[in-house]
Amino acid sequence: MDLTPRTAPEAAAPSTRRRWVPLLVLGLVVAAGGVLVARFLTSAVDYYCNVDEIGERAGCEKGRSLRVQGTVEDGTIERTDGTTSFVISFNDEELPVRYEGEPGGIFEECIPVVVHGRIEDDGVLRGTRVEVKHSEEYVDENAERLDDAVDRSGAEQCSPPA
Amino acid sequence: MSIPPDDTDITTAGTSSAATRLLGTLAVVGVAWLVAFGLLFSPADRDQRESVRIMYVHVPSAWLAYLAFIVTAGASALYLFRAAHSLVWDRLAGASAEVGVVFMGITLLTGMLWGRLSWGVFWTWDARLTTTAFLFVTYVGYLAVRRLGGTHQQRARRSAAVALLGVLEIPLVHFSVRLWRNLHQESTVARPDGDVKMDGLMLFSLVVGLVAFTLLYVWLVIHRQRALVLEDAAEDHGLEQALSDRRAEAALPGGR
Amino acid sequence: MEDAGFIIGSYVVTFGVIGAYAVAMLTRARRLARRVADEDKPWT
Repeated sequence: MDLTPRTAPEAAAPSTRRRWVPLLVLGLVVAAGGVLVARFLTSAVDYYCNVDEIGERAGCEKGRSLRVQGTVEDGTIERTDGTTSFVISFNDEELPVRYEGEPGGIFEECIPVVVHGRIEDDGVLRGTRVEVKHSEEYVDENAERLDDAVDRSGAEQCSPPA
Repeated sequence: MSIPPDDTDITTAGTSSAATRLLGTLAVVGVAWLVAFGLLFSPADRDQRESVRIMYVHVPSAWLAYLAFIVTAGASALYLFRAAHSLVWDRLAGASAEVGVVFMGITLLTGMLWGRLSWGVFWTWDARLTTTAFLFVTYVGYLAVRRLGGTHQQRARRSAAVALLGVLEIPLVHFSVRLWRNLHQESTVARPDGDVKMDGLMLFSLVVGLVAFTLLYVWLVIHRQRALVLEDAAEDHGLEQALSDRRAEAALPGGR
Repeated sequence: MEDAGFIIGSYVVTFGVIGAYAVAMLTRARRLARRVADEDKPWT
């Protein structure tokens, strides 16, 4: 009996055609995996500094591309001609930030942010991207919490980030 | 698997049974509850305000995607290490992985929408987001490996090996928020200190979401697993048809 | 609700994707079921 694969169109055509699709998908998967690993190694882990680590921790030097995390200080947000200026702090160290544009998300005072950018010679971080970091705590907006009200109303200092 | 001769019973009932119809009904009720609690009854968050509502679909779909890939790995191990090498386990693994990919895709999409609202950006290359995308891509690859052809047993062996490797990424994704500095917040519920940092009605809405997604997952996996039984049977039937055609040809004088 | 488009959109995306997946899967299964004997469908 002849068991060699048949080239009859109705038998062979659909199965060979279908087998190309998973191979193509696998190729794309390998390529996408490579891109993800590369992005991860170049940008996801490194250069992630808290304000108090500028100039202290390796990789957090002025003049290079950084991501800096800090809390937006109360009363420091100024908006002029499409530029947003504010001060971020972490462990009592402060850093002024200038960002061309309006940060999106839930950007406001007393909220932790991550700013991508470069610290110029004048000591100001020129932000190219502002990301608002929210905590893992979820609290009802209307919940009446005394400790919270004290922390948030009129106090000059923001409560420290969780 | 057998060839259905013309006189065999073939109903067109598809993959439903009384149990799946009940499960499906419960899943629809669960989804209705989730929409009601997620969009209407639950409160806005102090910092995130209304955007917190996306969490009730984002987090359960992520958890169920993890669970789906763990089930895939468990079923793959049962296939590989049991002497019977039963394709039942292989099809459960395949069905669960496919549903997991759907849920993980939903996690990524809803995460982007939530990220735009709360962080201000759709995407950022931080550890949680990147490892999640990698997990998604891995299981798309797993599904492609299942379709590379060969016999059912070859497919099962090959894909089981991929499944047992792929599941190792899950702890990496889950702990990525602790291992690396992240924009993504740390875990709220599955915390080492066991202290859930969420208000009551929000937590309840999240549990409703978890129940709804679990029902959807079970319902989808049962159907998909049965659909895979049908696919395998139809393929076997096609192969037996071709073999018997050739036997008939070979019996003829001058046949190839 | 502020940002209603994104928030409702995320629910629509979620259940739209699951619904589309379920419909595609069930339709295909129903078509296959016509070619397979009932003895191969242990759930019936």
